[in-house]
This record gives sequence, C-alpha cells and structure tokens, in this order.
Amino acid sequence: MIEVRDVSKSFVSDERVLKHISTEFHSGKINQIIGQSGSGKTVLLKCIVGLHIPDSGDILYDGRSFTAMTKKEKMQLCSEIGMLFQGSALFDSLTILENVMFPMKMFSDKNDKEQQSRARFCLERVGLNDVFDMYPSELSGGMQKRAAIARAISLNPKYLFCDEPNSGLDPLSAIKIDELIVELTKEFQMTTIINTHDLNSVLSVGEQIVFIHKGEKAWEGPKEKLFVSNCSELNDFIFASEMFQKFRTNLVSEQAGHS
Amino acid sequence: MNPLYHVGRYSQLMYRCFSKPQRIGVFLKQMIKEIDRLGVSSLFITLIVSLFMGAVMTVQTQNNIENPILPDYTVGLVTRDTLLLEFCSMVLCLFLSGNIGSNIASQIGTMRISEQIDAMDIMGVNSANYIILPKIAAVVFYVPILVVFSMFTGMFGGYLISVFTDIITTSKFIYGIQYWFIEWYVYYSLIKAAVFAFIIASVSAYWGYYVRGGTLEVGKASTRAVVSCSVLILLADMILTQLLLL
Repeated sequence: MIEVRDVSKSFVSDERVLKHISTEFHSGKINQIIGQSGSGKTVLLKCIVGLHIPDSGDILYDGRSFTAMTKKEKMQLCSEIGMLFQGSALFDSLTILENVMFPMKMFSDKNDKEQQSRARFCLERVGLNDVFDMYPSELSGGMQKRAAIARAISLNPKYLFCDEPNSGLDPLSAIKIDELIVELTKEFQMTTIINTHDLNSVLSVGEQIVFIHKGEKAWEGPKEKLFVSNCSELNDFIFASEMFQKFRTNLVSEQAGHS
Repeated sequence: MNPLYHVGRYSQLMYRCFSKPQRIGVFLKQMIKEIDRLGVSSLFITLIVSLFMGAVMTVQTQNNIENPILPDYTVGLVTRDTLLLEFCSMVLCLFLSGNIGSNIASQIGTMRISEQIDAMDIMGVNSANYIILPKIAAVVFYVPILVVFSMFTGMFGGYLISVFTDIITTSKFIYGIQYWFIEWYVYYSLIKAAVFAFIIASVSAYWGYYVRGGTLEVGKASTRAVVSCSVLILLADMILTQLLLL
C-alpha cells in the first residue's frame, strides 16, 4: 500500500500545484488518479515516485517513509518500482530487447543469458514476440507502450505507475493496454496507480478513484460511486460530454424507478 | 539568468556525474560507443579543416613577412609553431564545439524531453553518471588524438602549398618546420586540447540535461551549448597560455 500524507508542492511561482493531498493506494487494485489537464495529476505521480520532492508531507511505501529513507533504502525502493510513461520513454539507442534488459543490467546479478531469457519472457508476456531486435522508432505507439510495460515489470516490481498509459492510442489498443495492466497487477499483486483523464479507462479497469481538481483532492472513492457523487467539480468533469450526460439521465431515471 | 546559478547547477551536475559508475563494464561499453559516435565521426572534418588551416597559414605568413632580413624558411617555422601553439588545439576545438557540442546537447536534451532521463532516475540509475561521464571520457580521450592528426595534416597542407605554388620551395619549407623544434609545444597543445574537450563535453551536456519544454528548447540548448563552449574555450586558452607558456 502507498500512503500519501498531506503532500504539497509548488514550483518557481508561489502558486501551489498540489495542496495538502492525503490519500491511500491499495495493493492488488487498480488505483486511478483522474482530473483535468493541468490539475496536478502528473505532479502528484512524480512526487510519489520521487521525481519531484514535495515541499511538505510524506509518502509511505508499505509503511516506509520516503522522505526519511537513506540513499541505499531509496535505491532498494527504486528496484521495486516500475513506471510506464506517457510517451513510453524507451531508450532510442537501444533495441527493444536491450531496453527490457536495461534495469537488469544495472541492478541484477543475473548473467547475460539469464537477463536475455527474462527480457524475452517479459516481452512475450505483453504480446511482443518478434520485435526483439527492432528499435523503438520502428514500432507503433501501442507496441512501444507494451515494450515499456515489459521493461517496467522486468525486475518484478511491487509498485507500478502509469502516466496516461493509453494517450495517443486508438480505442482498441487503449483497451488492450488497460487489460494488460489489470492482468499484470493481479498476476504480480502490485500496487498500481494510473494517471488518466480517459473515462473509458476509468469505467473499464478503475477500482479506487482519486479526483484531483486545481491541485486539491476533490473526491475519492470506489468506481461504483463515481456517478452518484455530490462533488460538483467531479460531475462537471465526468459529465462534460453529451454521451455521459445521457448516461447520467438514464441513471437518475433508473434510480427514480427503483425508489 | 544569474551566471552564478548556472555555475552552481553545473557544479552539482558534475558532482553527480563524477561518481563511481554503477557498472564498470556498462560504462566502458558506453565510452567505446561514444568514441565511435562522437570522435571517429569528427575525423573527416578535422582533416579538412586542418589541411586548409595549414595551407592558408603558409600563404598568409609568406605574404606578411616579405623582409630580406628574415630567411625564407621562416614561413615553415611560423606555420609549424602557429599550428602547434594555437590552431590545432584552440581553433580546431572551436570547430569541434559546433560539431560535438551541439550533438551532445541535442541528444541529451531529446532524452530529457522524451522522459528517458526520468525513466533512468526512477529505476535508480544515476542518469548524470550513466549518460554524461562516458561522453566526457570519450571526448577527453579522443580530441587530443584528433589534435595530433590535425598537426600532421596542417603541416601537410603547408607542404602542398610549397609543392603546387612558387611562394616557397619545398626544401626550405621542410627545413623551416624542422628548425628549432620545441617539444613542449606539442605537449602544451595536447594539454589544452584535453581541457577544451572537457569543456565541450561537460558544458554541452549541462545545457542538454536541464532542457525544459519541447523540441524548440532542445534547439535553443544546442545553440547555447555551442556559444558557451566557444567563449569558455577562449577564456581557458588565455588562462592556460599564461600558466603553461609564460
């Protein structure tokens, strides 16, 4: 479990990007951080993984305080983290197989043959069987995301972070990536946090949702309660499109019928 | 922006960069790749630039020292010493700051904006050490070798002028370049080349590493890298000349 305790963050200007955010992300579940563009989702995710240092507050990984960790403990924690970036962030100069082997090359004591074998297993697990010697620029966006997932799971992480995993993908590829993340989360019992503003993804795979609005946590709860909340900012965000407005009308009439 | 801010941030980056590599084998492989990518690819431009530098130096010297008191072989002597003292190190490194410096800044800058550096940091890899140190090591190792090539090619350029024109005879030019040879000038040039190489690699890496934004900023970082390197090379040249020659 990851606990975020009273985290605030500001950059050069005085305005705070994150304002006293506290929440919990549970293991074995798909936790999602949702919100409009510029609401502070990515900054929160980067604070959790240690790319940004919060001005105040703390992050606890299974009770281990991130701010109180020594350098060695942080290195240990890094080996337990896998991250999927919005743009995949595969290393251009390495082949796909080398990309997946990279974390093992830097941290594992496995020999080259074992590393290759593990990398091939991870790539096959995400459905990439015949791209080992290709470079990232030779793959489609969806395949790059899969390769990035394979790299993220190569060291058997306990925590998986995904920053807008299906942005820039067609609906079918986006669904496949979401399904893959769910399968891996259940298979490896990881604590998975997904940053997204894609409601299809929220509806299909989300379990525990945190809604961020203007740097503040405006709402949190299970997916089932997402459509019946009283949070006006959340409702404005969810029901912005005509399709979801109709969905809400149906939901309200259904509820009226039941009562 | 405040120059002290950049000096401080550059020092912090170098502190991170000059730590022990996490895997020596990976570091050596990276260094060899960088020698091939940055050094070997600069060989051709080095040879061309040096050939013309030597040739032009010979013609200019001949035109400007037409004096009966000075012996003809002075052309060879002046060409040699000018090449050894300044042109093969300082002028060549100014060229290389355009070639190697912009390459390093744009490569690291692209890695930054495409989150590849963030990905390394999250994995616990010291990204400054992994990316920058092999480049600095490769450039500091290879640029003095390029300077040696430049010395020979520059003098060969002067020799070609003596062969194909009648401004000086070949024998007098060869006598001039052998006359009163001071070995220390070669070492002086190589020391300067190593220092300039460090400036080119580290300053360009600095600009690339701290890029924020998109591709436009990568281009700006590349330009800043070349300008900063050029100014710092000239400054370092003045200081080194004071320290090593006077």
